[in-house]
Amino acid sequence: MKPLVYGSLLVFCLLIAAGLSIWLGPVEFTSAQILEALKGGGSPENRYIIRDIRGPRTILAIHVGGGLALAGAVFQALLRNPLAEPYILGISGGAATGAVLVISFGVMASQSWALPLAAFVGSLLAICTVLAIATNRNRKVDMRVLLLAGVVTGAFFSACISLILTLSDAPNIRNAVVWMMGSLAGTEWSTAIVVCLYTLPCTIILIGLAKPLNLLAIGEDTANYLGVTVEQVKLTGYIVASLMTAAGVAATGIIGFVGLIIPHGIRLLVGNDYRVLLPLCFLAGGTFLTVADTVSRILISPVEIPVGVVTALFGVPAFLWLLRGHTRPGQL
Amino acid sequence: MPLLRSARFFVSLSTLILQWGCDLPKDHLSDSTPGSVLESASQTYPIQIADYTNQVHLFLEAPSRIISLVPSATETLLSIDVENSLVGRTDFDDAPGISHLPSVGTGLNPDLEILLSLEPDLIIAFAGESDPSIMKHLRNAGTIPFMIRPDKLEDATGIIETLSLITDREHMGDSIIETINSSLEMVRKRVENQPKPRVAYILGGEPPWVTGPDTYLHQLIAVSGGQNIFEDLKHEYVPVSLEEFFIRKPDLILSTEHTYIPKTLQNSRTIKLSSSIEIPGPGLAEAILEIARAIHPKIFP
Repeated sequence: MKPLVYGSLLVFCLLIAAGLSIWLGPVEFTSAQILEALKGGGSPENRYIIRDIRGPRTILAIHVGGGLALAGAVFQALLRNPLAEPYILGISGGAATGAVLVISFGVMASQSWALPLAAFVGSLLAICTVLAIATNRNRKVDMRVLLLAGVVTGAFFSACISLILTLSDAPNIRNAVVWMMGSLAGTEWSTAIVVCLYTLPCTIILIGLAKPLNLLAIGEDTANYLGVTVEQVKLTGYIVASLMTAAGVAATGIIGFVGLIIPHGIRLLVGNDYRVLLPLCFLAGGTFLTVADTVSRILISPVEIPVGVVTALFGVPAFLWLLRGHTRPGQL
Repeated sequence: MPLLRSARFFVSLSTLILQWGCDLPKDHLSDSTPGSVLESASQTYPIQIADYTNQVHLFLEAPSRIISLVPSATETLLSIDVENSLVGRTDFDDAPGISHLPSVGTGLNPDLEILLSLEPDLIIAFAGESDPSIMKHLRNAGTIPFMIRPDKLEDATGIIETLSLITDREHMGDSIIETINSSLEMVRKRVENQPKPRVAYILGGEPPWVTGPDTYLHQLIAVSGGQNIFEDLKHEYVPVSLEEFFIRKPDLILSTEHTYIPKTLQNSRTIKLSSSIEIPGPGLAEAILEIARAIHPKIFP
């Protein structure tokens, strides 16, 4: 009962957030003008602003935010670490590096359907590196090393992005700040649709993993006894969550902390059952990024703040709070 | 509101980084000369004219809703009396005639929505360094921005010519260009047999960005009888190590009044010019005199 209530509440919030994102912006519209433009009337400029600038941006924010939050929740389950998240693990950085690399060498345009795959290669490289460093001789992941390795890998990839962009003379590439702090400015329908095509199947697969993830949370050995093919679940989880992260990052750059604060917020509400947690994370993540993006463009309009700044302003205090709560003295 | 201010700072910083990041490699652009790019097919409407990116624009009549995202173009438009056709400005334009107009943000990163809502029929934008997605959206929405890039003196005067042609103010543009050329000629003649002081022009930043060759600033220094100590650099604008200043030993460092000069260089002879020096528009006629005065104060009292 409770999950259904929260679910419908979040769907409602998501719709409100999407509505606000269409309604609010540097140019002010009345609700009548908005409705008229959505129906295909009004002046061509208004129609373009509402349908082709704000529309794709809102859709992209929902899917990237939802994807990052869901990926965060899955990484937390797989690694049994509350601080795991695509950004902190360096996975977003790897994805952005992959995307920047192929764009700057002119291999792919920024709206190409295959761009997320290039980003995916980068994200896999990042997660493999981080896991390889953090796995000790007994094939157990050392949680302290994991986070440090993730942060350092992320910093390394940021340096790579700066270097590639400095050396590149491709005229059609966004600047380093956009890649490293994230931005949804200038989203086109083609980009939004590509991201949806990657995000939605990934979402379904990851939500399908909810039951084994529940058992994994108890412990790998226990899960094994209870019939979970542990290695297979972990592999699927890592790959699909990385792909979903990569699709978002390829379109928006690195947006941090969505995968951290959303899953923890939802956990506080509904507990640790991943069958409930994962779908709610997607809805809440989409809502959160849509609101953050709206804030980023109206706060000091007409100048836009990178949306990663807004998510970090909320995310860092949340991270520190969790860090205090989960680590006993001497543990980290 | 400190948060607001720091956010603004961040944004202006990011614009700066964006300019720097992309300033370095632009060899792919430098092979097009202004003469071949800014070519007009006819003198009366309809006018067909190519911009810096070789995009051909067709003008059936003088545009009546213009937004210029490039300060030098804005100044040109003001000086050829078309300010009534301007419908927007950037945050940096504060000339009295246009300060009442709505701002679209910064020139390199304008707000797409505000830009479109002003229904411009001509947008003048800087070629390179702006977010490509903005230019693409403008195309999709039906207003292809007219791209310009005033790197050298010839580019700057070529742009004045083009803009006056598009707006049917050719005679005014011609007289501005004539004024610029005659100041150049006058200065060039008077410094002919003078010694050539070694000059560095600092644009700001740390390490400081200086002008290399192929820029109007370099040309103004050369015409004024100075020798740009960084004329051997490969790019237009480059950040250089402070040590270079001690190896190359400038007699004179030029910059504008708002430019930060690193402490290490504060013992060198520095002259601060008015900030309009860095706007290569109709003000070039004045700029050449100011630079000439700085380099040869005895000849130009």
